[in-house]
Parts: sequence; C-alpha cells; structure tokens
Amino acid sequence: MRPAAAARHVWTASLAAATSLVSFRPPAAQTTATVDVGVSTVRYDGFLPSGAGSLTPAFTWERPGAAVTARGTYLRFESGRRSLQGLIAASLFTPPSLLPHRWRGELSLSAGGSSYADFASFWHATGEARLHFVTGGGGGAWIGGTGGRTSYGRAPRPVAVAGVGVWTRRAEVTVAASATRSIVGDTAYSDVGSTLHARRGRVEVDGSLAARVWSRGAGHGVYGEASATYTLGERTALFVSGGRYPTDPVSGSVAGRYASAGLRLRTALPRPRAIRDPKPLSRAPANGDGGAGFIARLEIQPAPDGTVRVVVHAPTAATVELAGDFTDWQPVTLRRTGEDMWERVLRIPSGVHRINVRIDGGTWTAPAGTTRAEDEFGGEVGIVAVP
Amino acid sequence: MTSALTRTALPLLAAMLVAGGAAAQQTDPRLERVDAATRPTVAALVDSARAALLPTEPLIQRALEGATKRASGDVIVAAVRRLAVDLGHARDALGSTTSPAELTAGAAALHAGASPTILAQLRQTRREPLTMPLAVLADLVASGVPVDSAAAAVLALAGRARDADLVEFRRAVERDIALGAPPAAATAAAATAADLRVNAGARQQRPGRP
Repeated sequence: MRPAAAARHVWTASLAAATSLVSFRPPAAQTTATVDVGVSTVRYDGFLPSGAGSLTPAFTWERPGAAVTARGTYLRFESGRRSLQGLIAASLFTPPSLLPHRWRGELSLSAGGSSYADFASFWHATGEARLHFVTGGGGGAWIGGTGGRTSYGRAPRPVAVAGVGVWTRRAEVTVAASATRSIVGDTAYSDVGSTLHARRGRVEVDGSLAARVWSRGAGHGVYGEASATYTLGERTALFVSGGRYPTDPVSGSVAGRYASAGLRLRTALPRPRAIRDPKPLSRAPANGDGGAGFIARLEIQPAPDGTVRVVVHAPTAATVELAGDFTDWQPVTLRRTGEDMWERVLRIPSGVHRINVRIDGGTWTAPAGTTRAEDEFGGEVGIVAVP
Repeated sequence: MTSALTRTALPLLAAMLVAGGAAAQQTDPRLERVDAATRPTVAALVDSARAALLPTEPLIQRALEGATKRASGDVIVAAVRRLAVDLGHARDALGSTTSPAELTAGAAALHAGASPTILAQLRQTRREPLTMPLAVLADLVASGVPVDSAAAAVLALAGRARDADLVEFRRAVERDIALGAPPAAATAAAATAADLRVNAGARQQRPGRP
C-alpha cells in the first residue's frame, strides 16, 4: 500500500472505528465525541510560515480499565495544500487482582498515518507496556517500553522507546515529569520534560516544557507548548494554543512552531454521566396503581452554565413526572424528546439530592441511575449527587 | 456518642420549647402543603432548628416530601425530627462553621452508618467543601460497600480530588459492582484507577496543534 493511501486509510479507519464505537456502547462504557474547528499560523522547520484551517474530529470510548481514542486532523494551508493525519490508540489496564496493591500494568496500542501536502507520508504502529505505581497520596510513577514499526515512504524502520515518569496531583493541578530514550532505525534521541495541567471553573490550562538531548539525527533544542480551553456551554468551548514542538520520528510529525485558536464542539451523543445502575431497562411487575410497569432510568447531565438536564428513559410511558428537594417536592412534568426519552432542564445546586419519578400518575419510585434508599414514608427515594 | 447526643439533643429540645410559641407566626408558606394538624409541630421543629443554628431547609424539604407522598402526620413529624437530630450530630463532628449543604450530606453519611470520627477526619483532610465526599461516602455505604472500606477510599481521595473526580470515582465503583466485583474490592480498585487516569494511554493531543 502506498504511504499516502495508507494515511487516508488510517484516517478513514479512525472515523469508521469511532463511529462503530458510538453505535456499540456497552452499558458500562462512556463515549464522548468532539470536533475542533480552528485557524492556525504555523511554521514547520525549513518551510515558510503559513496560515491554515483545521478540522479535528475525535472520539473517546472509555470503560473501567480500558480506553480507545480515535482522532483525525485535516489541515488546509493558505497555499491550497493539505495535510491529513489519523490516529487510533487503545489502552488496557490489568485487573486489580493481578498485581500487588498500588501496582497496575497497562498495555497501549497505537496506529496512525499522516500525509503532508501530497509529498510526504508516514505510518506507524507501536505497542507500549507500562507498569504504574500509585502512592495513594496523590502521586505515582511509571516505567515503560515501546516497540513497533514506522515508515517514511520506504522500508519500515524499527521503533524502540524506554521511559520513566513521575507525577503528582493536588486538587486542580497535576504536574508530571518524564524521561525517554528513543531509537528509530539509525536515529536516536533522548527527551526530558514536564507537563502541567490545571483547571479552575470553566478554564482549563495545559503547559509543557521539554528538551531534546543526546540526539543523533533528530535535532536538539528546548521546546514548550501551552493551551487554554474556556468552556462556553454544555457542548461548546473556545481554545487557544501555541508553542514549539520537536520532530517526532515515530509518528512523522515535523518540528514547528504554531499559534492556533478555535472552537470545540461536543456532539449530542447520549452521555451516561451520572448513571449509577447500568443494568438495562426491564419490565417490572405492574404496580396496580396506574404505573406503566416499567422501571425508569435516570441520567443527570450537569452543564457548565449551572443548569442540569434531567433525562428519564421510560418506555411506553404516557406521562413522566419528577419531584425532588430541588422542586420543593412539587411534581414537574418532563417533556418527551424521543421514543422512550423524557427530559427537563432544571437549576439544581451542587450537592446530594433526593429524587423520585412517577410514571403515568402511579407510585413515586426511585429510578435506576440513583442510589435507592428507604424514604421514611413507607416507600423509596433515589439519592443523586450533582457535581 | 452519649455525650455527643447530649450536646446535640438537649439544646435542640430546649430551643424547641423556647421557640414553640412563635412557630405559628413564622411558618414557611410552603408548609401549607402539610396537613393543618401536623403543620404546627413541623413548624416548631423548624424553628427549633433555626434557634439551634441548624439549617432549616432540609427539614422543610423532608416535610414536603412526606406531604407529596401523602404520608401521615405522625410519620412526617418523626422523619423531620430524626433529620434534625442527625444534622446536629453532623455539626458536632464537622464543626460550627460547616455549610448547610455539608451538614445535609453529613447527616446522610451518619444515617448511612459512617461514624462521627470519619466525618471529623474528612474535615481535617480536605480544605474544599465536603459536600461531595460526604455524599459519595453515604452513597457507597448505601450500595453495600463496608463503611471502613468506603471511608478509607474517600479519605484517600478527598485531600486532592475534585468534586467531578469523586463523582467519576463513585460511578466507577458502581460499574465494577454491576460487573460482578465485590463492593469493597471495587472501591479499592476505583480509588487506584482514579489516580492512574492521569497517566493512562490513549492520551489527548493538545488542541489546535497542526
């Protein structure tokens, strides 16, 4: 397969795989999807500066102990030339019982391709094993090794990387440091660097500072990048980023400096953000009190603007009402938004709340998706925590 | 425990007696939904809590919940009284400057089986509001996680985790339990995983990087 074609295939496969993940969503998993639309000014080393527009769809599928990310980037430069990148990465953790307490193993696989301006194309496929140690006090360390293949329009070259890292987290701030030694064919280099991630309210900030040392064929230098994301609403955010990054002989990215700004759109995929009981809907015995005989399932979806979307899945229901300590226990009728979906946007303060749902005027019940508790009134109440 | 009960219950009872006469004049209009025979007693409990500097909104909400569910007056009064006592115990454990939301969550945690010592340890561990750690603690216990295991995990995370991290941790425990893990093991595993997520593979790329 020609490298350019390989890059397009990887990009297409990224989207196809991500799409299939969206449709195949096991109950315990969570899928998120975003599209970044931005403009950049970029200067690759050895090239003239150029403006560019970018489109970056990304999907993440995550469940306990496993995660898959698929991402593609389409760049259109002011000269009319294009760049296409695609990546699929998966990570799997060992079960807790396999290793001693505080130790976890991780296996990651990554495959990607890129095509720059129709004249340079790369692909790579690597696997990485990491051993993590968590201190339990908000920090940890890891040691890992990577092996695989990468190609730049000729015979694939072997990839071998060894690395160690440490990290610490305090509330909203995470700081990490790592050191790696990489050998890609006859190219060898070492990177040492640190990253910082901080979040406060709607603002998320990332920064990195790294140096490439002991390099043979991959350049030297100090590199740094920073980005900030400001959340506008439940499905939108603004971002700005910039900096200088080194050549990556594994993925084929060329060293450059850039400044970008754009809009992040989060698609309207169903997100089980506060599902507590992932069991599928099941038919409950008819309660003889006007109930529809189905167990309703509740989702709580907080939005950055302080509102909370309350979604109830209740097949065959004709009316769905909700009452809780945030409605003064006055029944609130939900609006039908799908075949079995009912919802209402409410202002619910952060904290723990008591909630009940009533189907077709029947008994007040604690829906699945909440922690059921006796309500002291001879029935049950659902407990939900709103962040 | 007995001394804590004495510290809480006696002032509450004294305040009830003092405030009882004025209760009818200050009745929250929302309590109109409680039947007329029960309303004065509930109002007196609310006023007593106010006099004892306890939050009154949870008590009103508990009474309204009972009214919506058409519970009898005796049952409503008993539920409101029990909550008032739990709120007092929570304040004893968490301190007099505790916010109403924290007290409410603390009362729920105590009701679920957490000890006042655990609440006091949480207060020492975390500078940020305790509402979410307490809610998660109560929630875990209600899900069948032994109190000691739930408290150990929440105490380990509370010092550094954001509220959203705690919610995610709680959800991970729930998922593992649903997948068949014993509740205590699921809690320990999720606490470790919450830390590991920082360095997990499939890492995100910086937005806007060409």
